[in-house]
Amino acid sequence: MIRATARKICMLGDFGVGKTSLVARYVHGTFSEKYLTTVGVKVDTCQVARPDGTDCKLVVWDMAGRNGVDALAASYLRGASGLLMVADGTRAATLRTALDLLMQARAVVPDAAAVLMLNKLDLIEHWEIEPLTVAELRNSLPVFETSALSGDGVVRAFAALTAKLPA
Amino acid sequence: MNDLDRLRQILLEEDRRALAAAAQRLDVAESRQHGLADRLPQALEAVQSGAQRERFARAMAAPVATALGSAVRGNRHLIIDALFPIIGPTIRKAVGEAMRGLVADINQALESSFTLRGLAWRVEAWRSGVPYAEVVLKHTLAWQVDHLFLIERASGLVLHRASAPELPALDADAIAGMLTAIADFVSDSVGRDGGDTLESARVGEHVLWLIQGPRANLACFIRGVPGSALYARLQERLERIHAAIDAEGASDELVASVGADALDLTALTRDAATAEPRRRTAWWPLLLVILAVVAALAWHVLRDRSWETRMEALRTRLGAHPGFVLTALDDTRRPDVVVHGLLDPDAAPIEPLLAATRAAGGAPQLAVQGYLSTDDAIVLRRARRLLAPPDSVRLTVGGGVLGLDGVAAATGWRRPRLRAPMIAGVREVRLAVEAAASPAEFARAELEQLARQLPEIKGTFERGVAAAPDSEAFVDALAERLRGIEQQAATAGVEVTLVAVGCNDATGADRTNAGLREGRGAWLRAALIERGVPAALIRVAGDTDPAFQDRPLERSAYVHMELSSRP
Ligand SMILES: Nc1nc2c(ncn2[C@@H]2O[C@H](COP(=O)(O)OP(=O)(O)OP(=O)(O)O)[C@@H](O)[C@H]2O)c(=O)[nH]1
Ligand SMILES: [Mg+2]
Repeated sequence: MIRATARKICMLGDFGVGKTSLVARYVHGTFSEKYLTTVGVKVDTCQVARPDGTDCKLVVWDMAGRNGVDALAASYLRGASGLLMVADGTRAATLRTALDLLMQARAVVPDAAAVLMLNKLDLIEHWEIEPLTVAELRNSLPVFETSALSGDGVVRAFAALTAKLPA
Repeated sequence: MNDLDRLRQILLEEDRRALAAAAQRLDVAESRQHGLADRLPQALEAVQSGAQRERFARAMAAPVATALGSAVRGNRHLIIDALFPIIGPTIRKAVGEAMRGLVADINQALESSFTLRGLAWRVEAWRSGVPYAEVVLKHTLAWQVDHLFLIERASGLVLHRASAPELPALDADAIAGMLTAIADFVSDSVGRDGGDTLESARVGEHVLWLIQGPRANLACFIRGVPGSALYARLQERLERIHAAIDAEGASDELVASVGADALDLTALTRDAATAEPRRRTAWWPLLLVILAVVAALAWHVLRDRSWETRMEALRTRLGAHPGFVLTALDDTRRPDVVVHGLLDPDAAPIEPLLAATRAAGGAPQLAVQGYLSTDDAIVLRRARRLLAPPDSVRLTVGGGVLGLDGVAAATGWRRPRLRAPMIAGVREVRLAVEAAASPAEFARAELEQLARQLPEIKGTFERGVAAAPDSEAFVDALAERLRGIEQQAATAGVEVTLVAVGCNDATGADRTNAGLREGRGAWLRAALIERGVPAALIRVAGDTDPAFQDRPLERSAYVHMELSSRP
């Protein structure tokens, strides 16, 4: 099969955890306080440099917030090389959802690389997720504390995922 | 001022002041009323820009509407005059717009109708069953493929892409991803059993076609109105790509080059533009038409032939009809026929001969004039009619010679004898009539004549005693001739005996034949008795009777009459 040069990345996570905001921050360098929930999916693209110095195009599928992978979500996930799991640090429940979603997504795209983003780092004083839990999580997958508002950790998280993508 | 005045002042002061105040209020009211006309416009203006504006508009709506209504009813022309400058141009503009469209349509129709190309389009429209206008549209409206994406079906990632030159760059990956997501969404939400897919969409002047394959899809953005040929070409290309993908051991380079080839826009446009639509031309309607024409022709020719034979037959029959001369047979107004000719009044009617044309659906007409025929048969009929000879006188005509022989009563025979030579067509008369002086003599002559004629009236048998088909008529004729024979015999003073004679043909055993002769004679006797011939007068010929030893060799029966003097 002819290989596409671009790589497909899917953003997965509960409602309002900041998926759209993270894409906006990473791709366009912008942030908005306004919450406009995503309907269906929004596809964006961006160019990233891989560690080996080559350029790679990412096609980012910003999927609507959800807590399960249904048939339609599965069809959106097909062909993805990377999964960006997003949880909201201020709501512990969203972390459980993110891990649930990751497990379900693995059934559709078993070979996809995955990275977990714990978002809203700028609200660290309101976080419900214990540092101990975070340390525990790092044993099983790369975890990044990010803030779409300030931009902290966003580029690092995307770069880490890009690095993990199959050549 | 005296006390009274003061008192009055004290008493009435209250009233007076009230009066003065009232008068003053009246003045003020009056002056307000007076200035209202000046102040009203100002007040209305103030209300328009003030906080009460909405309320004012609401309050005014009803009275203004009523006022407008009564104004339209009462001062129609005023309103029309006022609106004219607005309505006129509006109507003109609308009509103009419509006319422009119409004229454009007519122009196109005219332009394409009277050219060779237009004619070809008409033929195409006729052949393919597509309305003419659609064919014109298909040929006149240009289209252009702006973008063509080969999209990996699963991921929605772009595998290959091609865009027309001089178009602003666009993010193919994002578009392909969104398209895939939308197509997935559409199939998931409205597609039945997952089988239905998004196939096309319209975006402004663009048509988007999504041609789906098992491993990859083609997304085609087209400007204008594309024909079905383009769709077919795209499908072909997608099939070619799939063939390359699925081919065993196909290298990535090969597949890539096939994909790149398939997405060559110039080639695609050329192919689709020159190729006729993949619609199969239906030849069978033309074939049917040809067949129908041939069948109609054949039928016509056949009918013509059969008509000709019928006419020929009619002509011969009319030509052979005694007493009729055919001058013309006019069948130009087929199937009606006019028969022109000359007909002798004594000829048999010719109407029965026209049955053939009537059978062919025609309405035969006769345009016949009278004449006198010299045909022997007709002359004979004429002589019979004019002379009305008694049964005992026989008439013959041959070569214009009228022969008369037999017996006739002397008194009744004078006139016919004088008249005979004057009958038209009679050249000569041969008279051999015995004039009988007394009634007895005449009756006897008549009986002798009858005795001579009787053996000629024969009935023939099929086989056995079973009567021949025409036997009934023959027995009737025989009985007719024998009517009143007893009376006549009495007048003539003779004894009459009738013998029914049965005959047989040469074949068969003697014994059977004898039985047959007996049986046929008996049958004839019975048949005659049944028709009123006195039984005592008639007997069956005995087989040993020497008078009937030399019977004719045929299956027949006849009557023999013997006359003998009364004792
Ligand atoms: N303070 C803060 N607010 C954030 C951050 N990221 C997102 N938000 C806010 O969180 C809300 C939801 O953000 P979205 O990006 O729309 O969330 P989402 O995950 O795309 O939501 P869905 O599309 O509904 O699933 C918005 O009001 C954002 O402004 C962050 O890092 N810090
Ligand atoms: Mg969103």
